[in-house]
Amino acid sequence: MIHVKNLVKRYGELVALDHLSLDVREGEIFGLLGPNGSGKSTAINCILSLLSFDKGEVEIFGKTMAPDAYDLKRKIGVVMQNVAVFEELTVYENIDYFCGLYIRNREERRHLVEEAIHFVELDDFRKFYPKKLSGGLLRRLNIACGIAHKPKLIFLDEPTVAVDPQSRNKILEGIERLNEQGVTIVYTSHYMEEVEQICSRIVIMDKGRVIASGTKEELKAMITLGEKITVEVFSINEEQLSQLRTLPGIVSVEHIDRQLYIKSGKGSNNLEIVLDFLKKRQIGFGRIYSELPTLNDVFLEITGKQLRD
Amino acid sequence: MFRHVFVYRFKYLIRDRELVFWTFVFPVILASFFYMAFFNINKDEAFHPINVAVVYGGEEQYDAPFKAVIEDASKGKDKLFNLKDATSQSDAEQWLKKGRIAGYFTSGETVKLTIKDSELEQSIMKSFADQYRSSRLAVQRIAQDHPDSLKEELLKDIGNRGNYVKETAGGNSEPDSMLNYFYALIAMACFYGSFWGMKEVTDIQADISDRAARVNTAPVHKLLAFIAGSAAALVILFTEMLLLLAYLNFALHISFGNRAGLVILTALTGSVLGLSFGALISAIVKKGAGMKVAILTVATMIGSFLSGMMYMDMKYLIARYVPFLAWLNPVNLLTDAFYALYYYDSLSHYVRTMGMMCIFILLFCTGTYLIVRRRKYAGL
Ligand SMILES: Nc1ncnc2c1ncn2[C@@H]1O[C@H](COP(=O)(O)OP(=O)(O)OP(=O)(O)O)[C@@H](O)[C@H]1O
Ligand SMILES: [Mg+2]
Repeated sequence: MIHVKNLVKRYGELVALDHLSLDVREGEIFGLLGPNGSGKSTAINCILSLLSFDKGEVEIFGKTMAPDAYDLKRKIGVVMQNVAVFEELTVYENIDYFCGLYIRNREERRHLVEEAIHFVELDDFRKFYPKKLSGGLLRRLNIACGIAHKPKLIFLDEPTVAVDPQSRNKILEGIERLNEQGVTIVYTSHYMEEVEQICSRIVIMDKGRVIASGTKEELKAMITLGEKITVEVFSINEEQLSQLRTLPGIVSVEHIDRQLYIKSGKGSNNLEIVLDFLKKRQIGFGRIYSELPTLNDVFLEITGKQLRD
Repeated sequence: MFRHVFVYRFKYLIRDRELVFWTFVFPVILASFFYMAFFNINKDEAFHPINVAVVYGGEEQYDAPFKAVIEDASKGKDKLFNLKDATSQSDAEQWLKKGRIAGYFTSGETVKLTIKDSELEQSIMKSFADQYRSSRLAVQRIAQDHPDSLKEELLKDIGNRGNYVKETAGGNSEPDSMLNYFYALIAMACFYGSFWGMKEVTDIQADISDRAARVNTAPVHKLLAFIAGSAAALVILFTEMLLLLAYLNFALHISFGNRAGLVILTALTGSVLGLSFGALISAIVKKGAGMKVAILTVATMIGSFLSGMMYMDMKYLIARYVPFLAWLNPVNLLTDAFYALYYYDSLSHYVRTMGMMCIFILLFCTGTYLIVRRRKYAGL
């Protein structure tokens, strides 16, 4: 549905997009994950023909995207990273204004605007001015303005920044509902949990480049890390630590503040091996956690740095 | 599509109370202040005769001429004083204390003036007394030869009361030059209209605002949306200017000459000039709304100042020493166009200023077009 090839965008010396290529398939929620400044917004704005770029090609619905490709634009909805509404227009008027840029028929428009208001649950606020809306409600209005015309393809650029968890969940649920109705979604975020939660396919970006892509299972399978085990220990000596490190499947062991941070490779019985070892040496232990790797670990292993600081 | 954008831009702009204030309410208030400052004192209805008393010293040779002069100044339709005869100094003191008179004269070899405080009325009395004294000296020689003619000469000399009022009010209120203040005020209002033009560019240039970026992703031709929005801004600004003209003309009785059609055409041209100026500045400066507002405000204020809105002589100084500056200041051109319509029967000066304004409009619009027509941005 979207085909991007070798996109290069420079801001002077800075290369914001470095031969970026990606494909979005119809009906999926496509996640663009990357830390701040990795080029997510730049990529979306280039795809939308808002930004000029130095090299590369962008096709949407099989046609080359351009500022006057109105037949394409009509089928696209955009929710920008920053809230973009008119302070002097009410909730209803804001949605109606933007919807009217796509839909001429007034009857049809009224229907669509009502539906959008209902969709983002702003029914009680239609006469409110944006100033009177809380941050979360404002974000929802921002989303409604971008999707009221029922596009087939929606770009959402970090729609949940600075939103409390409850509102965030509402927004994520809404996006999933849209997707169930057959809408293709391109979603950017630097919150890996969100991306993991809703995206069917994920591209991880860093410094304008794609560093990994696939489903979340595929991404996690890419790395050597299988499991992260944390054990509270009361006393353990250096010798025992180095013995622990030599156990099969164990990749690394760190001992900080009475906590053992153990990383193991793939395999299902890593926890058992560790616990057996502790019992045999009569090392007392308290609480134990075991985690599967997250996208952050994927990012960490590929780039050597944290996704979030 | 044009209609949809026009209607919403209109709603959006007209609800911006701050802008409506600067482009309409503020000029109306300022005009009212100008009006009060220039006219009240000059208006016949606005002048009330001053309550005064005279205490005569009893020496006939001094009392008689003063009596004749002050009585003359205290009669008729445009009399200067309401004269009360005081039988004694203490009478006059009493009245002054109670505020029934503004002051009293004491006749004698020199005319003395006793007043409470020095407001306008008292200063008129003072200048009356001063003039009497100096006139008296001047005509003294004649008086020595023909004592009877003293009165006549004095009366002639201290003729009409207008002198006192004018001198005292300090107004150089020549009607012609005074009108210029109001014309410059309209020009200023048109240039405050540049804020509307700024808003239009802000909301169409994706590298200035996120709202504009959203409009740019919609299937709408950018220039169509821009023109529809600018039309809404023009309708608002032009309506404001018509209301301002109506207020000046009908409420404040400022004359614009007899060519109403051309006055309205001038207001329309001024509105377009202001809008296109704001649009160009906004397109050039890009980000930094505060910077833009500062530039537009300062440009408007300097332009108005140089066209004589705060200090009339400025206009003459420029016309005399740097005449080309008068032609390069669009605010001045607009002021001049109104003035030419009022003052000259021939339209040649008017046509020249209008022509120059059109050149400016063309310049501003072309500049704006060259920036706004781009539909892909180097950076957002
Ligand atoms: N107009 C601009 N001029 C110069 N550099 C820019 C401009 N816009 C963005 N950049 C730079 O380009 C890089 C990519 O920015 P971009 O906004 O695409 O990142 P992002 O992934 O969307 O980040 P975030 O998560 O913070 O939104 C950053 O290093 C940024 O500083
Ligand atoms: Mg971004």
